[in-house]
Formats: sequence, structure tokens, C-alpha cells
Amino acid sequence: MKINAKYVNPFIEAAINVIKQVAKIQVRRGHLSFKAKPEPSFGVSIIVGVYGFLTGQVVYSMKTEVAERLVEKMLVGKSPEERKVLYIDTLGELANMITGNATALLNQHKDLSLNITTPAIATGENISITLVQKPTLVLGLYTQYGPIEISIALEERDVIDEIDGGEGALSEV
Amino acid sequence: MAENGKKKRILIVDDAAFIRTMVKDILVPRGFEIVGEATNGNEAVQKYMELKPDLVTMDITMKEKDGLEAAREILKRDPNARIIMVTALGQEKMLLESFKIGVKDFVVKPFEPERILSAVEKALA
Repeated sequence: MKINAKYVNPFIEAAINVIKQVAKIQVRRGHLSFKAKPEPSFGVSIIVGVYGFLTGQVVYSMKTEVAERLVEKMLVGKSPEERKVLYIDTLGELANMITGNATALLNQHKDLSLNITTPAIATGENISITLVQKPTLVLGLYTQYGPIEISIALEERDVIDEIDGGEGALSEV
Repeated sequence: MAENGKKKRILIVDDAAFIRTMVKDILVPRGFEIVGEATNGNEAVQKYMELKPDLVTMDITMKEKDGLEAAREILKRDPNARIIMVTALGQEKMLLESFKIGVKDFVVKPFEPERILSAVEKALA
């Protein structure tokens, strides 16, 4: 099991900056822990795949109440009906912006690419989602509405090459 | 922004309705006309050819065809097309690739309204 802690800081920085800018609220860094896979702890999950010189998934998870308050803050001026229509989409875009900004911090190379997939969103208690089986760093962030958990399950491509013996084993998440 | 009483026509391409709404809310009160919206690269190319907008705001990460591919295809068909990338992927490689294919500006999400506005106005100048 190989986990690289250098992936954490770009996500902390990106999450704090993005949430502050789009929802106009403060975010505080919380605990860091480990899991065998990026299994979410709360009822709303947003999964973003990462591929390129790093590969894996980033899973954002929060309680429904936290998700609803964040969306409300991100859609100031919109009616409750409009917010309802845009709810899933807005959460997906929040995860997209945090992951995208983090990839820019992770990728300082001109020649390497790091791409992300469009977000997949799961809500409710009994939703089954497909998660990668990769060692995961779990980052807790705290907002005034409650915690947001970011599970980072990323591996460097050369690590996978070493394990699997070649690039052929890699595919888009 | 209206020139000789004619509003500049914008096509917004993004798979996220949240971003399309934000861009609309910034540009419409400033006198721009949103002539169409597209949610993926294929739709973007098709709507560009149909609508011939003055400017396109283009996301990168989208299903079916990504924004860089779509921008490349639009610029191949119309080298005078004005396209601004609006993306969360603020990596240097993406930026260099975008300018290489002829994109006018590169805006990283999340953005302040003034950033989008100045990119659009500069590209249309």
C-alpha cells in the first residue's frame, strides 16, 4: 500500500479557495486519515475521476443539509425552484472546480497532462457507486454548516507501471 | 455590449448549468445576447455552424467531445471564430495548447464576473 501525502495540500488549497470564492464562506482544515478505498462517509457523494500521470478518483462527501446550504450560497438570488433544478449540477460543478484547481497545483509540468472526468453524483442512503480499490487519504474540512470529506485515491502512473509492468494496464477512470 | 445598436451574440458551451447560468447572468445585463447553449463539444460545433455567434465561451471537460477538440474543429471550419476557454483545468499545458490552436483567452473557474467580462470584451475588440 503506497500513499503519497504530497497530493493532500493541493486539494486543501483548492477546496478552501474555491468554496470561499463561490459560496463566500470560510473553510477550516480538519483531520487527515486513511482508508482502503474512497468510500464516502455521508449521504451526498460526488465522484471525479483523474487520469494522466496520476490516476484514480477523488470523492467529495457531505450531509444533505451541508450540500443544500452550499448550493443556496452558490446560487444567491435564485428562487427555491431554480435552486432545486440546479442542485445536483451545482454540487458537481463545485467538485469539478476543486479537482480542476487541484490538478493545476499538482501538475507543474508543461509536458504532462492531468485530466478529470465529469463528476458523478450520488445522493441518498442506498445508492451503490463504483469506487476504485486504491489506498485513500481522507481529508476533513469544516464549514459553518458541517464537515466536507475529501477522499483522495490517486496513484502515480510510474508506480502503477512498476506494479503492473506497463502502460497497457492504465485506462481512463 | 451593443455595436451600432446590434448586440454581440454569444454561444455558451459548458456541461454545467450552474456555469451557463453564471455566464448568462454576467453578460446579459451588460448588453450581450446569448444566442445558444451547448453541453458538449459535438453540440458546440453544430450550434456554432448553425448560429454563427460573435463569440463562444468553451468549457474543456465535457462528455462526448471535449472543449479543446471542439475549439480546434470550429477554428478549422472558421479561422476567424472567437473562442474563450472557461475551465477549472488551469494547467499550463492546457493553456499553451489553447493559445496554440487560436483561442483568444483562457479563464480559470471559479471566476469573478469582471474576469469573464474583460475576456469577452477584449476578444471582441
